[in-house]
Amino acid sequence: MNCTDQNPVPEAANFRRPAEVVMRLARMGSFHQTRLSFMRTLLRRLKNEQWTFDKPVWEVDGDGFGRAVYSVIGPVRTYSLVAFSHYLPDEMRSDRVIATAWDATFTLFDGVPTTADLDRLEKNVPKQEAGRISDSEISLSRANRSVRLWNHVIEKLSIGEQPDREQLESVGYLVRTTAVYGSGKFGAADRLTICDRPELSGPFQAELLSVWLTRAFAIDLVEHIAQSVGGDKAAVIAPDLRKRIGVGNSTGLGMAPFLFNHPALINNWMMAREEAIARVRAVNKASAAEVTEFVTSFERAKFNFSNWNTVHKIQLEKLASLGDDLEKMSVYISTENLNFDYPWDRFYQWAEQHLSLEGQEQLVSLILEPYGELVDDLTGCMDADEHLSFIIDGSMTVAETLNILDLQCQWALSIDFDQPESQARFWYTSAEKLEPRVGERFNEPGEEYESPYGIGFYISQLNKTLLGWTETHSDQKPIADFLLAHPEHRHTLRRVQNLKNRPYAEVQDNVIASDMLPIDLLRCKLSFFGATKFDPRSDRWVRICMYQDCPHPDELLARKIPVLA
Amino acid sequence: MKQKQTLVEIEGYFRKVARAVGLHWGLAEEAGKAARWLAAFDLPGPELMLSHLQNIEGKDYEQFKPIIGSDSINAHWQANDQTLCPIITGAAIADRAKFLLNGHTISLVSAAYPILLAATIGQATRSHNMVITISWANVKLSCYGNGIRIEGDRKDLWLDKTEFVSCQQTFDTLPEQLPSTLSYSIDSEAWKIVDQLAFRTYAPATEESRAGAGAGLTDND
Repeated sequence: MNCTDQNPVPEAANFRRPAEVVMRLARMGSFHQTRLSFMRTLLRRLKNEQWTFDKPVWEVDGDGFGRAVYSVIGPVRTYSLVAFSHYLPDEMRSDRVIATAWDATFTLFDGVPTTADLDRLEKNVPKQEAGRISDSEISLSRANRSVRLWNHVIEKLSIGEQPDREQLESVGYLVRTTAVYGSGKFGAADRLTICDRPELSGPFQAELLSVWLTRAFAIDLVEHIAQSVGGDKAAVIAPDLRKRIGVGNSTGLGMAPFLFNHPALINNWMMAREEAIARVRAVNKASAAEVTEFVTSFERAKFNFSNWNTVHKIQLEKLASLGDDLEKMSVYISTENLNFDYPWDRFYQWAEQHLSLEGQEQLVSLILEPYGELVDDLTGCMDADEHLSFIIDGSMTVAETLNILDLQCQWALSIDFDQPESQARFWYTSAEKLEPRVGERFNEPGEEYESPYGIGFYISQLNKTLLGWTETHSDQKPIADFLLAHPEHRHTLRRVQNLKNRPYAEVQDNVIASDMLPIDLLRCKLSFFGATKFDPRSDRWVRICMYQDCPHPDELLARKIPVLA
Repeated sequence: MKQKQTLVEIEGYFRKVARAVGLHWGLAEEAGKAARWLAAFDLPGPELMLSHLQNIEGKDYEQFKPIIGSDSINAHWQANDQTLCPIITGAAIADRAKFLLNGHTISLVSAAYPILLAATIGQATRSHNMVITISWANVKLSCYGNGIRIEGDRKDLWLDKTEFVSCQQTFDTLPEQLPSTLSYSIDSEAWKIVDQLAFRTYAPATEESRAGAGAGLTDND
């Protein structure tokens, strides 16, 4: 659909939160998953299009080492997760990107791999970044066991018992993925190869398909090992417990620059989410069924909160606020409040007055739940033709450019960059593992390697230079003339022009400030994926859970009917 | 010997190489896009881009940028005292795509690697929904939003320098070659240099960076 010209709910525009409210790190770092999140979009499609599921290869020994293939078969194409399980000594188990070996490694194959493909992949996939995959593969990933839960589950199952529910829920997953690469990385297929396929055109659909199948593989693997240990007396995981098992993920700074490097895409994610919230706020009356569905979702959120664990100080404080917020929301819901006109808008406005950002963002996620028919079409607006945002319109006048800066960049122009704390950090790529890092500008070497992510600073520099330029040149000159004289501002000008049609394209906070929290960036992105249980391990490292309580492939999809010979 | 690199890798590495040799990030981005664009048509643009970037390493931007007559951009563009840089000049022409849309022609005197110039200009065709034809020596390269057409002597595509180039909007033809999304086979020796140059944009690890990036807690849990 055309996301701007064919908006079926034009009245929602009056309820849309502006970018200066939304694109703040503190708020972005409080986002929760929504029904527009990419995991949910993926599973809705697989179900609606009646994809089928198959496990054509299972070559795993009694200790759990070997290879397996999991396929999902759609109306046009088949995709297969190729999984390799390896022995990994404890001392080598690290979630850091600098690790060189893992418990299991994966690739998502485009089609069904032959034995020759598997043999080729077995020589490369276990090496991850040090190996090489091909145009036939779409993603490359790895996972480590949650040692505490993995051993417990095998131990219990092998003696015919179920794992301890509390222990299982407190972890929430058997394996943690530590990197899922796609889009042409390490030899994989280019994004343009798959972007015209409806099932993979949305953001991260291939990567999240691989994670969903990884979850199935992990469960099969523990049951297989338990069976090997316990023989006939071994049990399989009971369905209600099985559903509680998601996939963990451990993520550091590597994920953060994505939000800086893809402004058009980020705009579309944010725009779709904000439009969905606005559409629901524009609903005049909530039906009894809609209220009931909201309350059900609210109860689920409370349950999720009750087993959301963290030891990190920042998140502990946020969770305390969320707990209070959920109590206040309970009281709000228990009265007649949802029977008034524009109940969701009233609720939101109340939330702005009474709840923390955690609570406000929890609420906006929840009010979308009853309104799939009203908002789910927006998932079709969350990809982006990034090429179009790359091209500079050099005919724009200097005056017009200054106008955009004035109207849309006050957040940057109001920062005093002469203060050391405003420039305390710098982003760079580490030679050690070619991964993004954040350094302390005044205490560490390496500033000369700075990556151009501190856009607020660059915007202030551009503004200053442009104003100076107009002292000797007409502000009716095309910006192309300025750029030829000042190539150092080309990167920034591209982004500033982009704001004209993409107001949510930039994080409107100083990402090089001394008090910047990278985990806010990580949480924002991960919430769009559909992650839950954000558990920061430091200010730049977060663990999450994915697909917890979601159906498994054998629950959501029919098993492929074997072809008789 | 050749090796395969994906288009994403071509773009990302050449962006870094361009930065490493001294171009600002905005122009480095153009270099990355142009290298990718040529690779998608299986033209040896990445190798030529590498040669060009090595040639301009550490040199003064002012030497290579086009001097545009103050009275009219219709006048021939030329550099101060060197050949025009195809990235700097290509970006300047792409910025003025609307000027070409109005029927004007931009002519250049003495430009390096004209195919890199064409690739940088070609980026603008899709968003402006136009065809731009770049002509030099005995060859014409037309850039479409979704493809290219080459007419004339293909050997001239690989010239490292040409005395005269013209750029204008053209009509009524169709592309003869569409871009591929598959990996590009690049000369292994060339890629080794690309890798080494790109590496210069990475900061050597420090104890602080190692300590700060990780979880700081055990992963055996």
